[in-house]
Amino acid sequence: MERQAIVSYQTPSGQTVKIIKHSFLSIRRWPVKRVAFVAGLHGNELEGIYLCHLLTRHLRGLQASQPEAFKGEVHIYPAINPQAIATGNRLWPFFSVDMNRLLGGENGKSLPAQIAGALLDDLKSSANIVVDFHASNLHLNEVPQIRIIDGFHKKLIPLAVHCNTDLVWVHPPSPVFESTLGYNLNRAKVRALIVESGTCLRLNCDFANSLFNGMLNLLYQTGVLVPAEPPPPVEHPLMVQPSQVALLQSAHAGLFVGHTKLRQHVRKGDTLGEVIDPADGGLLQKVTAPETGFLFTLREHPLVYPGSPLARIAIKETDLL
Amino acid sequence: MKETIFSIPAPLSPTANLVKFSWEGMHPKETFSIVAGLHGDQLNSIYLCSQLIQFLDAVAKGIEPGYRLKGRVQVIPAANLLALQEGTRLWSFDDLDMDLTFPGNAQGELAEQIADAVFKHTVDSQYGIVLHTAADHYEDAPHLVCLNPDSVTKDLARSLGPEIARKPEESPAFRLKLYYRWINQGIKAVIVSAGKPHQLNQPLCKTLFSGLVNALLWTGVLTCNQKKPRKHTVEFFDSGCEQLIHAGAAGLFIPMAKPGASLKKGEKVGEVVDLYTGAILDSPVASADGSLVTLRDYPIVYQKEPLAVLLGKRKFRFWPF
Repeated sequence: MERQAIVSYQTPSGQTVKIIKHSFLSIRRWPVKRVAFVAGLHGNELEGIYLCHLLTRHLRGLQASQPEAFKGEVHIYPAINPQAIATGNRLWPFFSVDMNRLLGGENGKSLPAQIAGALLDDLKSSANIVVDFHASNLHLNEVPQIRIIDGFHKKLIPLAVHCNTDLVWVHPPSPVFESTLGYNLNRAKVRALIVESGTCLRLNCDFANSLFNGMLNLLYQTGVLVPAEPPPPVEHPLMVQPSQVALLQSAHAGLFVGHTKLRQHVRKGDTLGEVIDPADGGLLQKVTAPETGFLFTLREHPLVYPGSPLARIAIKETDLL
Repeated sequence: MKETIFSIPAPLSPTANLVKFSWEGMHPKETFSIVAGLHGDQLNSIYLCSQLIQFLDAVAKGIEPGYRLKGRVQVIPAANLLALQEGTRLWSFDDLDMDLTFPGNAQGELAEQIADAVFKHTVDSQYGIVLHTAADHYEDAPHLVCLNPDSVTKDLARSLGPEIARKPEESPAFRLKLYYRWINQGIKAVIVSAGKPHQLNQPLCKTLFSGLVNALLWTGVLTCNQKKPRKHTVEFFDSGCEQLIHAGAAGLFIPMAKPGASLKKGEKVGEVVDLYTGAILDSPVASADGSLVTLRDYPIVYQKEPLAVLLGKRKFRFWPF
């Protein structure tokens, strides 16, 4: 394994912060493909950082025992926003800047914008396929899923089905995505899968293990990694478009109390939770499933305002290709 | 008239109301909208609005000699009310930058709903001004920002007072701003940026207030029989004219110039000194003659961070035959 700092900078008290890339190179002169895993763009999303740890540990062992298995290259960027990770914050500290909103044009030359630009350049020169790991924000809990912007789906779905996620969600483009890493990689013809799993500041080992198997399978299916023993087969994900997703939102300000668990099939009319008025003990809203389907998002943060998302249900699968 | 354009009920807290002030003449044909406080720490712009509201109330009551309203003026003085009440740039509940959520979404999260309300209440205007201060940790000399201004927008800029106008490059993030959404709808609009966040600079606000009144006179929504609108000289700089001066080392930045100063090539902008020993680590200088439009205000700096923005003559890549 090679370790390299793609960019570094000095802190005011003299330490050097390095954005690290771990590379597992191929035994072949011309690698079959080059796959990169990226985590920690948002400093409070720890699921991907843990997943990078699992991958690095596994690949180190495999490189020691079966170097011939590496037909392609694997690059792991485990912590893109180290100082935000150190404080458990989503945003780049000091400036409250979202590192995943700084790409795709002239967005200033602030330090986080320089780092984001350096990451994009390094990925474009190092990888054909990128997997960018995210967790949800403090508010929601998500089953492992891949989100794909409509228009990129024909190239991405054939890869996404190998990743052992519960769901692949193809959604329409929106201006807000145009400054993200995933969008700009796909625009640059580097196929980028955006994985969303769990909630921030927490680790869900079940989700991480599912995704770990999925990433090994992705490496195997793309011919990058061909070990003596192939990885276990993975489940085919549900494929949905926005019209097949029911979003439940709070109609009131209050506390959401969940009465169900994520990652299960619910029937129309099932109670998912309630929004209560904490001051007078009243029930403000009974939250029930509007359709039968798969519950893939559930509110984690109890505090809600009108419009706050409470749950998402995948109501019907579709053929997206 | 003061009206609530959006109510934000909160669990266990009083409802916060987003307010708009408006005044109109007898036969209003044109509307001039002013929006401030998109970030909760931009106090100059909020104070400036309060001065304008006081003035326009006096005009409407007929106690401001010579002034008469002809068109319609509307002011939204504190768009990001929740962040303002928290004393922060962003509302910590969602960490969303409200000026990157436009045109908003009535069905979305709270910040998007507020953006939707602000946009819907201003989109029918003919003229618009967004009031800002510098980004966190910086101070701006009073200046204007306008994207691809036409002759009318340039004249609007000339009515406002600041002598510098920056013409930014369009980027995905810029397209999410209220200002961009306005000009996309054909509104003649300008951003006014001055001062620093978390601070109230009354002399600066007084100067900008005169400019705002002059702009209202220039557009004709306000008339005065004792005063004609003034036309100031404004120099327009495109992004190729901007020189960024970066910190070569991390430490404490001691400025040696003030925002608004004209610097000669080689002139020191300041020094970066070691946090502990005070030893000089870097002495950044102007790389060409120019006007200092933005300067670092908060002394703690990381290596590679921009310390200053100078506006000078455009650098040609090739000899301009």
